[in-house]
Amino acid sequence: MKYAYYPGCAAEAILKEADETTRIVANTLGIELLDMKNATCCGAGCLNEANKELAVTINARIFAIAEGMGVNILTSCSTCLQTMAKINHDLKNDPDLLARTNEVLKEVGMHYSGKVEITHLLWVLERDYGVEKLRKMVKRPLNMLSIASFYGCHTLRPGEILGYEDPRAPKSLDMVMKALGANTVDYRGKTRCCGFHTLLVNERASLKAAGKRIQEAKDKSADCMVTPCPLCEISLDVYQGEAEKLFQRKTQMPIFYLSQLVALALGADIDSLSFKKHLVSPHKVISAVMEESRV
Amino acid sequence: MRKKIIIKRFDPESAEDSYLQAYNVDIAQNATVLEVLLSIKEEHDGSLTFRRSCGSAVCGSCAVTVNGVAILACHTQLSTVNWGEKDIHIEPLGNMPVIKDLVVNFHPFWHEIEKTMPWIEPKEEGERENVVTQEEAQLIDESANCIMCGSCFGDCTIRETDDNFMGPAALAKGWRFAGDTRDSLQQERLELLSEDGNMWDCTRCNLCIDRCPKEVRPMDQIIKLREEAVKAGITDNKGVRHVMAFQADIKNHGKLNETTMPLKTVGVLRSLGMIPMALRMQMKGKVPFPILKDIEGIEDVKKIYKIMGVEE
Repeated sequence: MKYAYYPGCAAEAILKEADETTRIVANTLGIELLDMKNATCCGAGCLNEANKELAVTINARIFAIAEGMGVNILTSCSTCLQTMAKINHDLKNDPDLLARTNEVLKEVGMHYSGKVEITHLLWVLERDYGVEKLRKMVKRPLNMLSIASFYGCHTLRPGEILGYEDPRAPKSLDMVMKALGANTVDYRGKTRCCGFHTLLVNERASLKAAGKRIQEAKDKSADCMVTPCPLCEISLDVYQGEAEKLFQRKTQMPIFYLSQLVALALGADIDSLSFKKHLVSPHKVISAVMEESRV
Repeated sequence: MRKKIIIKRFDPESAEDSYLQAYNVDIAQNATVLEVLLSIKEEHDGSLTFRRSCGSAVCGSCAVTVNGVAILACHTQLSTVNWGEKDIHIEPLGNMPVIKDLVVNFHPFWHEIEKTMPWIEPKEEGERENVVTQEEAQLIDESANCIMCGSCFGDCTIRETDDNFMGPAALAKGWRFAGDTRDSLQQERLELLSEDGNMWDCTRCNLCIDRCPKEVRPMDQIIKLREEAVKAGITDNKGVRHVMAFQADIKNHGKLNETTMPLKTVGVLRSLGMIPMALRMQMKGKVPFPILKDIEGIEDVKKIYKIMGVEE
């Protein structure tokens, strides 16, 4: 298993732990991640709105790099996944657009023939590596924990383009968490939005969206939440304190990025998982897991 | 098949709040949610109140929420509801006040639609009629399919958290007319729809695309509005500054400068208010160094911008 690895801007800056722990998980499971040092930001759906053709070309350049490496792209960010998958879908289904884009890429010595697929760490863990194999690799089972899987938006929708699972009834993240030994909590907010993409435009609405998702999980007695998206992680963890003030309700819900929990269960060195960087302390949850695995 | 159907009831004439009522119902294999509601009303409880008319997904009257998802009751077979709770929970649409049981007051929805001036203001009469090409018609085709059922509005993330947000149906309607080549008010419409609470407040959650029973794809129409507003030079707002910062950062460094993004989007004054938050993030090692190392091959990226005629 070999992929061109695309961590995305958030995992390279604000949320480095998403990148670091993705690499730990990949190393442990024997998934080879090849760096794309010349890949740009995908534009996160924003570049499309500034200039659609430019966004297509910038993304086609990323796909051309992976095509040159002879591998598909694995990203650990849901918004990067959706942005790239939508543009890749357009390029694959519109020969004129692909030809126009290649006219520009030719000027920088590149070409994209439309063969690359975009996948997400979550999908690779669940389907390609497989939950059965993953279960056998667990050294520190998470069976003390009731985890609320938070899928968010951009690994699910639009379903007809992403097409991995039913966007109204997703199972992948729950399956991965169960493979790690955890109990999973069902709650309505799991396929809804964390509000991240309106944080800088309508901060109050964004914080309320994050707060509602956390409260929905809290009301079902979840010990913590897990998300496959660094942007959801930022919304739910970093901004949770602000959301608490807005709702005047303390939630103190620990939020994990997917690969942090996978790496924890795989027995990674606890100090390499950046739990100290969380704004809502996950100390209690981590202690419970460590305590249990010592018994 | 016998199934437990739990309905959220509300009677304005009783002093009680809303309550849940369960019915055990025999359901034919292909029964729609509407047929189930009708059979409950006929066989179990005549007081159950809901809206319905055509039964053919044309009139848009019968939208309700089933296990947390807004659907058209006549357009959804109960056996296809594979999401949410094990029992079937039927509730009124969200984001609107309830009148009785499953009937909501659509006033907030219509109020937003009205704001968009949903009519064509024709261009000055010329010698012949305004010809609309097939390509031009296709641009507004999806948005013209709306049957105003309110499903997108009822489940909209931002409408749930901000009453001031126009919502997906009205914004799609806004594009229906702003994108119509026969209309004379395009600039005015785009300016109106660029104001706070309108096109730039959408969080791109894609829920409205999932919920719409008529393939209107409201969020896609919101994105068309945004592209047109940028092209029309309506750029003095946070939304446009945000997307332009992406365009500039990718050109200059190949990636985002997340440290300067808030400053570029909301401006110096508003950014000052974010300092306490920034300090908390700084303490947790979450504020990256503001000077970025360019990606390898940044010259190629700059060349692409130049070839495509994009300044910044």
